[in-house]
Amino acid sequence: MSLLVDFVQTTLDGSMAGSAYALLALGFTLMFGVMRRLNLSFGAALMLGAYVAAWLHLNAGLGALPVAILTVAVATLAGVYIERLCFAPLRGRDAVASLVSSFAVWMQLEELATLMLPRHTNAFPGLMDGDPLLIGPFQLRPDQLAMLAIAVALMAVVWLGLRRTRAGLALRVLADQPGAAIAVGIDIRTTALLTFAVASALGGLAAFLILAGDRQVTPMFGMWATMKGLIAMMLGGLGSLPGAVAGGLLLGVIEAHAQLRLGPQARDLIAYGLLFVCLVWRPGGLFGQTLVDTEATARARL
Amino acid sequence: MLEVADVVTSYGKIEALKGVTLSAAEGRITCLLGPNGAGKTTLMYSIAGILKPRRGSIRLKGEEILGRAPDRIVASGVALVPENRLIFPQMTVRENLAAGAYLRRDSAGIGQDVEQLFERFPLLRGRASQLGGTLSGGEQQMLAVARALMSRPRLLLMDEPSLGLAPLVVEEIFRIIAELNRDGTTILLVEQNAHMALKVSHRFYLMEQGRVSFGGTPGQLAEDEVIQRAYLGSRR
Repeated sequence: MSLLVDFVQTTLDGSMAGSAYALLALGFTLMFGVMRRLNLSFGAALMLGAYVAAWLHLNAGLGALPVAILTVAVATLAGVYIERLCFAPLRGRDAVASLVSSFAVWMQLEELATLMLPRHTNAFPGLMDGDPLLIGPFQLRPDQLAMLAIAVALMAVVWLGLRRTRAGLALRVLADQPGAAIAVGIDIRTTALLTFAVASALGGLAAFLILAGDRQVTPMFGMWATMKGLIAMMLGGLGSLPGAVAGGLLLGVIEAHAQLRLGPQARDLIAYGLLFVCLVWRPGGLFGQTLVDTEATARARL
Repeated sequence: MLEVADVVTSYGKIEALKGVTLSAAEGRITCLLGPNGAGKTTLMYSIAGILKPRRGSIRLKGEEILGRAPDRIVASGVALVPENRLIFPQMTVRENLAAGAYLRRDSAGIGQDVEQLFERFPLLRGRASQLGGTLSGGEQQMLAVARALMSRPRLLLMDEPSLGLAPLVVEEIFRIIAELNRDGTTILLVEQNAHMALKVSHRFYLMEQGRVSFGGTPGQLAEDEVIQRAYLGSRR
């Protein structure tokens, strides 16, 4: 019986961590879907946002809410900066070019953050205190529950925004068939910039939720966020929104179980192992209905 | 309606259009024939603003549109049915049409136009909530045409609408082209199927190696001669 309770408890814990991974993956997948380019400095942009907020938390005593707003705002600005610098000038060129330049900007943003706060560990305000809620035999941390709720609400907002708004239509059209997006009158420059801004804002909120849970931020956060987001996106399927959510949750749950059974060192090992297995066994990811497949179906029907 | 004068467009150092001059009269079908690599698609993309010509002038109803951004050109009333159709494969037929009306703000008018297009293309109505990528080639071509019409264009540019379609479907597509024109749409048509294209066109141009080598009405040149030059280029 207690084995089952353990299992459910771990799954619950894992899915709460996973909801944050899902937000990171959602940011990645939006950018990848629209641009077919990987933004390696995504995590660094979020880290810069968190660092600016943490600096003001330290020096001006900013509370949780202004820290959240600041993290999102600075991450968004950094995302816009990255798009203009690494992606806009290289549009239509080799994907490697923007990949490498986004890597360079990663280093740049990380240096900037560590110059601002040279200590390895820096305090970050928590979201809320309070004892764990007890539901039957299960314990749920209120801040983690809040994270799950905010993450779910954000996913709904993104989903609706893509389907119900004009900007959402532009994003989807550009992701689906860039050649024809221009022909129907979509301004690619603005739409690409908007995509990066939305993705970075989502990522900024995810970063705040994660760091508020940890109560600290280190320079490793950028790398960590890029890795988790990338793995979750690839598990789910490149460019797929439901895939990003599923990939994030799956990664969170499997990591939590790995940690429980095999110890904390195994956590990341399992995450990379999972990515490896996924790439070998199902390279398209769980929701890997890629553009290539649809094109092939279309051709077969000619 | 459309006056193209001395347009030069190049890819890097290679000049794909070496000074093209032609015009498309209002309410008419003007057709552009020529072998692969003659620059027909380059000209279409230049008119739509997707490629930037280096020189020349492109006027729509007397107004210079060369140099405008592609979305501004759509807004001034030019719609392109691109080569290979390029419908949105992961979006439904209805969403494809909504995307065609992206620059319009009148949601009531958009709804009416969707209805009208479904009247014109009943096949599409049956597939309204199906993904574009699951349609057959002919249906995709109809969708591409319908999507372009959603912007209520004054001038419709069609780039090889019969490409890769079965003969019966090609006939259907040309019937649609003639019908659209009868209802008042001005069309500039690029085609490989010279026989069908000459049947519907009021005027045609031959393009060879980035230049217009002939302009006239169908019948002015024997069809054999046109086909010879459209597919193989002129003999030297």
